[in-house]
Amino acid sequence: MPRRFARSAPSKVDKRRRVDIRVTHMAASDALWWDTRLGPKHASMAGRADRYWSWSMLLPLCHLVQRAKRRYCRPLVFWARADSGRFLRVGMLIVIEAYPYLDVEHPADSHFVWFMSGADAGLLTTEFGMSNPPALGRVLLDSAIVLSQNAGLAGRIGLHAAAAGGDGLLAVYDRFGLIRLPTVAPLPPSVRRPNDGRFFYADEPVAEGLAAALDASR
Amino acid sequence: MSEFMQLDAKAPATLGAVVEAVTRLSTLGEAKILELVSAGKIADLFPFKPAGDQPIPSDTVAEEELVEASASSLNRKEREALIQSSLPATAPKKYRPRTVSKR
Repeated sequence: MPRRFARSAPSKVDKRRRVDIRVTHMAASDALWWDTRLGPKHASMAGRADRYWSWSMLLPLCHLVQRAKRRYCRPLVFWARADSGRFLRVGMLIVIEAYPYLDVEHPADSHFVWFMSGADAGLLTTEFGMSNPPALGRVLLDSAIVLSQNAGLAGRIGLHAAAAGGDGLLAVYDRFGLIRLPTVAPLPPSVRRPNDGRFFYADEPVAEGLAAALDASR
Repeated sequence: MSEFMQLDAKAPATLGAVVEAVTRLSTLGEAKILELVSAGKIADLFPFKPAGDQPIPSDTVAEEELVEASASSLNRKEREALIQSSLPATAPKKYRPRTVSKR
């Protein structure tokens, strides 16, 4: 049986509490909503790596650029249950399928987490009636791992921590348990850029450990 | 390119600009594109602006309205539909240029 996406996440406010999560494919209207309702607020938050991201632009761009490279993107929207009982968009994710695995010692394909964003928890509470915004980071990464596993890639994933996220973003991925690619390690030839020390990946055992930890919430 | 959302095969200038932009972006690595996006500079290379007349969806939806994504691999038809849905809906008919009908 293929693994499903996680359907709940802990609340950021009360870790003992679970928040219902649902995952849908991302359409232009989702990107428009995000850019309109959250984008301007996020843009004023200096610490956010995604403060200038326009999802309405990113969504077609990602599809087009990857199709030019004969790859596919999987853009997903994460919804969480608000106090009203209805669901609100709280996260966005774009994964590139069948991307070169970052550990060149073990040539293989993996999935690559290209763009990942969670709505600001304070905003969700003050402006969207969500008293328990979800802690979403692990769920977003888990979704990429599950897609990789179900595609026969054993959960292998890679990502590059946006420089705009500074050391804080590196610490987040470290805390999640991802493996940081050493700065001296070569990148797969098709990645075509120097290794700036901000690449992370999950090998098969790490991926399985991370996925298994969320199995109860699927 | 600035009218990417109105892309149609009969507009070779627009199509040419799209091809040029995508070709150029395809020479860059994903991390470089992430860097450009994060710096707010991607519009210099991909000057796509979504149509301003698209209705903004409501903030919330009922659970039964959500079509949950499968975590399994998609088939070709599903992939095509996903790509198609990434483009804004075309302008309503009333905004399209009129064509003269022959009697």
